[in-house]
Amino acid sequence: MIYLDHHATTPVDPRVFEAMRPYFTEVFGNASSRTHRAGWQAHDAVEKARKQAAALMGADAREVIFTSGATEANHLAIAGVAAAAPPDRRHVVTLVTEHKSVLAPVARLVESGWQVTELAVPPGGIVEAGAVAAAVGPQTALVTAMLAHNEIGVVQPLAEIVHIAHAHGALVHTDAVQALGKLPVDVHALGVDLASFSAHKLYGPKGVGALFVRRGVEKRVRPVVTGGEQERGLRGGTLNVPGIVGFGAACAVASGEIADEAARLEGLRDRLWAGLRERVGEVSLNGAMAPRLPGNLNVHVAGVEGETLLLGLTEIAVSSGAACLSAEPSHALLALGLPRDAALSSLRFGLGRGTTAEDVDQAVTHVAEVVGHLRAMAPAARASAGVRG
Amino acid sequence: MAYSAAVLDRVRNPQRVGVLPDAPEVGTGEAGSMDAGTFARIQVRVEQGRIVAARFKVFGCSAAIAATGLVAEWLEGASLAEAGLVTPERVVQHLQLPEERVHVAAVAVDAARHAVRDAGEKAGRTS
Repeated sequence: MIYLDHHATTPVDPRVFEAMRPYFTEVFGNASSRTHRAGWQAHDAVEKARKQAAALMGADAREVIFTSGATEANHLAIAGVAAAAPPDRRHVVTLVTEHKSVLAPVARLVESGWQVTELAVPPGGIVEAGAVAAAVGPQTALVTAMLAHNEIGVVQPLAEIVHIAHAHGALVHTDAVQALGKLPVDVHALGVDLASFSAHKLYGPKGVGALFVRRGVEKRVRPVVTGGEQERGLRGGTLNVPGIVGFGAACAVASGEIADEAARLEGLRDRLWAGLRERVGEVSLNGAMAPRLPGNLNVHVAGVEGETLLLGLTEIAVSSGAACLSAEPSHALLALGLPRDAALSSLRFGLGRGTTAEDVDQAVTHVAEVVGHLRAMAPAARASAGVRG
Repeated sequence: MAYSAAVLDRVRNPQRVGVLPDAPEVGTGEAGSMDAGTFARIQVRVEQGRIVAARFKVFGCSAAIAATGLVAEWLEGASLAEAGLVTPERVVQHLQLPEERVHVAAVAVDAARHAVRDAGEKAGRTS
């Protein structure tokens, strides 16, 4: 099976795995144990990983708060900022295309009487600065917008959004999960106040992530997971030392390779797109082509039903325009203006570190075969005779 | 969506996909619509009151493909009277269709009924 679903998750890089290995059975101390060497060694490993992660995201080490993943980081950012916001700020701005782990804590704020503006996006998927400016006001506590989209790969104009939000005294959070390790990310340059990251999207282990909290902003975030003083009081709980070590190592590995890898992936992605257009035909691109994550392609295939297409694509791992394996189309694709059945017959390809040109060519051949088989099954335009139901 | 082996097999290895050339003994029936997401066309060739060949075309989910293929399979070799015994309930049961997909069985069976009726009417006109 050819794995082309790198936006869903990535395999742990062997170099990362090796870095993690000692921290299960050899260096196994609790990083919060202050009184013995086992704890100090674990603590040092965590702090090294913190520096590695901070370096890749353009932050200071003290601004990195480790969590159990990006979902938790999103909750800390959104619920945490809301809980600490002054009483005259009860408004949040977000985009309709955000990941559910952002939309869910935002929705919960509505239950406590907050106002929420969910901005629509044009078919290219990139929000218009004017729309953001019209939505943000003195009552806005937080604007949250994903840096690079997990389904269609497009990149939002975060620097402009920050400019607008800060002019009104609002904080800015970005779910930067898909961008880290694929695009250069510099949270200081972007000016964001909070940013969420996840290790398993960049060849690190699952179950660990981070929230970047800009220096000074920590006073404006109320912790969600309390009961321990870890992570500067922002996130209680014994640290996942091996996971954190893995996260740091994954960041270190990625940092050396971003530019070259981005160019390589773009080339492969363009090869895939050209191949699909030529050999499958009647395919269209969902979302703008640029700016876009280098390895991402999201396409609608005409004349086939999505679920059947997915079931038939046994030789490649891709995901569809449906939310998981439900029959529901992705809310993000619908927000781009795609009709429901088009969203369901869309395929998301995520190329990655291990993807080769051969993989791409084989994938194209396979998709062409399956699509051909399904299109041949479909009725052509109205039969010349017969009784219609 | 958890599909039975009966469904998956008919999607991966469909039998009787195709068309029958227009002829007095060939009846054609359709049901559903592309907009609705399920569209089935079934054709039957009838000789001396028996369906000697059945072919189908379908657009839709895996359940729709399997249902239409199953109906075509049941029609082939059946007498016109036996063809009437094909019901959506039987299709659902045989394929163990999940709740969300049972409606496609009705589309497949409708297409079959129209095809059989069309064949009967054409036979009536030529006799």
